[in-house]
Amino acid sequence: MASITLKDVSVNFPIYGAGAASFKKTLAASVTGGRFGKETGVAVVQALSGINLELKSGDRLGLIGHNGAGKSTLLRTLAGIYEPSSGQFSRVGSVASLIDPSLGIEPDATGLENIMLRGLVMGMSKKQVDHVLPEISEFSGLGDYLAMPVRTYSTGMMMRLAFSISTSVKADILLMDEWLSVGDAEFTEKAEKRMQDMVAGSGILILASHSPDLIAKECNRVVRLEHGRLVEA
Amino acid sequence: MSEAAHSNLHRSAWADWWEGTRRTDIWWTLAWFDILLRYRRSMLGPFWLTLSMGAMIGGMGPLYASLFGTELSKFFPHLALGIIFWTFFSSMVTDSCNAFIASANYLKQGYFPISLFVWRSMSRNLIVFAHQIVLYLPVAIWAGISLNRSALLVIPAFLLLLINGHALGLLLGLVCTRFRDVTQIVTSVMQMAMFLTPVFWLPESLPDRARYILWNPMAQMLELLRAPLMGNVAPAYNWYGILAWTVFSVVASAMLFSKYRRRVVYWL
Repeated sequence: MASITLKDVSVNFPIYGAGAASFKKTLAASVTGGRFGKETGVAVVQALSGINLELKSGDRLGLIGHNGAGKSTLLRTLAGIYEPSSGQFSRVGSVASLIDPSLGIEPDATGLENIMLRGLVMGMSKKQVDHVLPEISEFSGLGDYLAMPVRTYSTGMMMRLAFSISTSVKADILLMDEWLSVGDAEFTEKAEKRMQDMVAGSGILILASHSPDLIAKECNRVVRLEHGRLVEA
Repeated sequence: MSEAAHSNLHRSAWADWWEGTRRTDIWWTLAWFDILLRYRRSMLGPFWLTLSMGAMIGGMGPLYASLFGTELSKFFPHLALGIIFWTFFSSMVTDSCNAFIASANYLKQGYFPISLFVWRSMSRNLIVFAHQIVLYLPVAIWAGISLNRSALLVIPAFLLLLINGHALGLLLGLVCTRFRDVTQIVTSVMQMAMFLTPVFWLPESLPDRARYILWNPMAQMLELLRAPLMGNVAPAYNWYGILAWTVFSVVASAMLFSKYRRRVVYWL
C-alpha cells in the first residue's frame, strides 16, 4: 500500500558559488574572527516551506505553478534526493522517478548498451535488465538502430528509446515532470497506451505540468505551488 | 540538518554506505563504460594506456639510471613499479575530488547513495591500472627478478591501498564538493608529493638526515607494494605506519560521511 505524508516540510538551499564556496574565504573568516565573515554569509533560498501533504493509493496529484515555484524541488524531495531541512516526511512504496527520462543515457554508447545503463540507473539489476531487454527493444521499434551509437539518432528516436526504458519499470509511486510524449503519430498512440497502463498500475501518481488540460485529464487532485508554499487549487 | 527534520527514508550511515557498495553492477558498469566510451573510436582503445606508459618507462629508465649512476637492471624495475603505482595513486586521489561533481546529473535527478560514485571512480582507475601493470612483467623478466613467497605480501598491501583509496575518496569527494578550491590544492599537493616519494629515485641514495621523508604515507604505501614484487621484504615499520594511517583515514572519512552524506546533493 503506497502512501506519502509530508508534515511542515521545508527545503532550504544554501547558494554557494557567489564567492561563498571558497575555502579561502571560510578560512579567512575563521582566522579574522568574523570581520570578513559577513562575506561568507551564505545566501539561502527557501525552495519549499511548510508543505503539508497526504497521499494514499489511488491519488493522482497534479502539481501546478509558475517556473521556479518549487514543483521540481517537491518532486525531488518525494524521490528522496533532497532530505528535508525541517519537517517530517514519510513514504511507503517503491518509486519510479521519471523526472529526467534520459538520465544515464550516453550518446556514444549504442542503443542496447543504453538500455542496460538506463535500466541500472532506474534501479533494476543487471539480470532484470537482461530480462526486459527484448521487450524494450521491441517496443522502441528502433530495430537495427539499437546497435548504433545513440549520438546518430534523431531527437525523436532518442526520445523513443528513453521512453521505452523509463516506462518499463513497475512502481507504487510514479513521479513525473511533464507527461512523456514522443515520436510520430503511430508511436504516440502506442506510447500513450503504455503510459496509461503504467499509471494505472501504480498506486500514486504525482505529475508536475504546465498544461491544465493534461492535469484535468489525468489527475483527481490538484495543488498549486506558489513561492514554495502549497495552495490547494 | 536541523533537529526537527525527520524522514522515514533516513538510514544509518552504515546502511547508506552499504547500499551504495552492494550495487556492484551499477558502479562497475558505469566505470566500465567510462573507459569503453573514452576509447571507443580509437583503434588501439585502452591499450593506448599501456603504450604511453610503456613509452614513458622505456624513455626514463635508461636516462635516470645514468643520471643516478645506478645499474639499469636494478633501477629499471624500481622505476617501472614506481611510476605505475604512483600514476594509480595520484589519479585515484585527484579523480575522487570530482567523484560527486562529475556525477552531479545522477545525484540531482535520482536517489543514489554516494558511496556508489566513489566506487565508480576507483574502479575506473583500477581498470586503467590493470592496463599498465602488465608492463612490469617484461621488465621483471628482463631484469631477472626472482620472486619468493614473500611476494604474496603484495595482496594485503593492495587491500590496504583500496581501503585507503575508498576512505580518502569519500573524504575528498565530500570536501571538494563543498569547497571547490580543495581540488586545486589536492592536485598541487600530489604533484609535490611525487618528488617527496621515491618514485624515481632510490631511497638508499637519501642522506640520513633526510630519511624522515620516507615517513610520508605515500612512500610507505609504495614501499609495501613495490618491495614484494621486486623479491624484497618491506621493513615492518612501513606496515605499522600504513595501518596507523588507515585507521586515521577511515575514522576521518566515516565521521564526515555520517555527518554530511545527505548534504552533498545540496552542494552540487
